[in-house]
Amino acid sequence: MNLLTVSNLTKRYRRGGKTIAAVDDISFHIEPGETLALAGPSGSGKSTIARLVLRLIEPDAGHIEFEGNDFLALSGAALRQRRARLQMVFQDPLAAFNPRSTVARLLDDPLRIHGIAARAERPRRIAALLERVGLAADLAPRAIHEISGGQRQRVAIARAIATKPSLIVLDEAVSALDVSVRGQILELLLDLQRQERIAYLFISHDLGVVRAIAHRVVLLEAGEIAECGDARTVIDAPQSAIGKALVAAAPRLNRTRP
Amino acid sequence: MIALASIRDLTVTYRRDGNEVAALKTINLDIGAGERLAIIGESGSGKSTLALAIAGLLPASSRIEGRLDWFLPSSPSSGAKAPPSVLPDISPPRGEITPSFRLSPITEIASKELPSKLPISPLAGEMSGRTEGGGTDRQPKFVPLGGRDIGFVFQDPSASLDPVMAVGKQIAEVAYTHLGLTWPQAYAKAKSLLERVRLPDPDSALRAFPHQLSGGQKQRVAIAAAIAAGPKLLIADEATSALDTIVQAEIVALIRRLVAEDGMTLLFISHDIALAAELAERIAVFRHGELLELGPTAQIVDAPTQAYTRTLLDAHIGLDATPLLNRAGLNA
Ligand SMILES: Nc1ncnc2c1ncn2[C@@H]1O[C@H](COP(=O)(O)OP(=O)(O)OP(=O)(O)O)[C@@H](O)[C@H]1O
Ligand SMILES: [Mg+2]
Repeated sequence: MNLLTVSNLTKRYRRGGKTIAAVDDISFHIEPGETLALAGPSGSGKSTIARLVLRLIEPDAGHIEFEGNDFLALSGAALRQRRARLQMVFQDPLAAFNPRSTVARLLDDPLRIHGIAARAERPRRIAALLERVGLAADLAPRAIHEISGGQRQRVAIARAIATKPSLIVLDEAVSALDVSVRGQILELLLDLQRQERIAYLFISHDLGVVRAIAHRVVLLEAGEIAECGDARTVIDAPQSAIGKALVAAAPRLNRTRP
Repeated sequence: MIALASIRDLTVTYRRDGNEVAALKTINLDIGAGERLAIIGESGSGKSTLALAIAGLLPASSRIEGRLDWFLPSSPSSGAKAPPSVLPDISPPRGEITPSFRLSPITEIASKELPSKLPISPLAGEMSGRTEGGGTDRQPKFVPLGGRDIGFVFQDPSASLDPVMAVGKQIAEVAYTHLGLTWPQAYAKAKSLLERVRLPDPDSALRAFPHQLSGGQKQRVAIAAAIAAGPKLLIADEATSALDTIVQAEIVALIRRLVAEDGMTLLFISHDIALAAELAERIAVFRHGELLELGPTAQIVDAPTQAYTRTLLDAHIGLDATPLLNRAGLNA
């Protein structure tokens, strides 16, 4: 059974008297434990799809089924409960968090809000979450602006997995990281996927990264699906014009002695 | 290699919350005339500080030691009128430059060719307080003027463009200010520059405001403004980092073509070693404010001497990389 099924999703925006379809009749699915990548040029609709799936915005048309439920029909307590299973990690963890907030506070929130652990038990849970994402437990009292970008992204991941999600939406989650840190974060995501069977909706315009970590890819152009399929098959031999252009534009490091 | 600029023992220290932070530590680097030199490094490595130091754009609160010598044919400054408005406002207003600011060797190369009003600090503040001759027996040398001799393109094109001025005027203003053109001539120049940077429909683009353009189009306009006065040196500081891959490739191709056509020297600053390697003839690797290694691109890519450079190369995830994903793991 699919974990997430998106059918005929459409989102239009009005801009300067004109209506543009940011997302135009898009359908795809994600299986449990699978990474589906959304790739495409700027403005192709990747982030709009992410926001629709997370129900941060509402579609003009279409259907979203998540864990067997009509996700768009949920509201109130039922929606809150289901939301715990669908988490997100965005590009800039600083922007999403109050910089004065402590690491412990950020991890305490989901545990408290979703009633996952009683107050007395939470410090132990927080320490375990930090350890799970490869951070020392003594990072807990630190303010978010006192830790490095890579550490912040690990904290964002720890926060996302606190509610035991089955799907995490990652929108350019590794794009702003230094390359030496990026590899470690990707390894962490894959490790979590293997251990906890978490599925990812992984948004990136970097085809190299997509090819390295995704099972399947959907290539978008102007709100529509240009091409989709097995990530390596599509990226190694793109059929669509936009796929060819994206591959041609990717910077290449021609090492004769790797 | 004929040097365009020679940097010796350059150390730049920022004062932050009462602490001194060394952003660059005794850097020695020659920039060859007409070369494409890439400066690569991760966040906090000092790349942008180097660019700002070269352009004379460091904030007054920074301390600069060492020297920077230019080997430029002196060009007439008589055409210079008023400071261009296209440079982003990263330098403090002139009034804020502390008079007590110590003269550093880097500024002792002030020259007679300098226009009396330099738009850019901290050189401006220091040099305006200097008397002719200044007690140094050094020969006056040419000091480049930002906007005229050095073109600057930043990561965020919005930061270098005035949001309430038509882009044609912004480009024309550089030509008017530095080339001594009349306004009609400057506008004609602006139009030809918009053609050179391949902006579709240059006539209507002249009248467009920045918010009406896409990120890639804005960066083309910023490049047109940066090269409007015919600079010897073009500094591109993460100029393509905010753009998607396709637009990035287009902008890189544009920079390569313009630099070749005008015989400019290019300083290409990037965190992306693959992108840098595609464009540059030489690569300088920075880390923690130090220049770790410098060499021809092929040598840096194929035979780096520093472990850190190898780390950067290995961290690149190309289209031919071995997937990190263990595909058997799915549905296991
Ligand atoms: N709130 C909004 N109001 C109007 N238009 C919008 C809004 N959000 C997105 N759009 C438009 O919808 C289209 C898709 O935008 P979206 O942010 O989804 O693209 P993206 O693929 O995530 O791009 P990027 O790679 O730059 O992040 C664009 O044309 C964008 O301008
Ligand atoms: Mg986006």
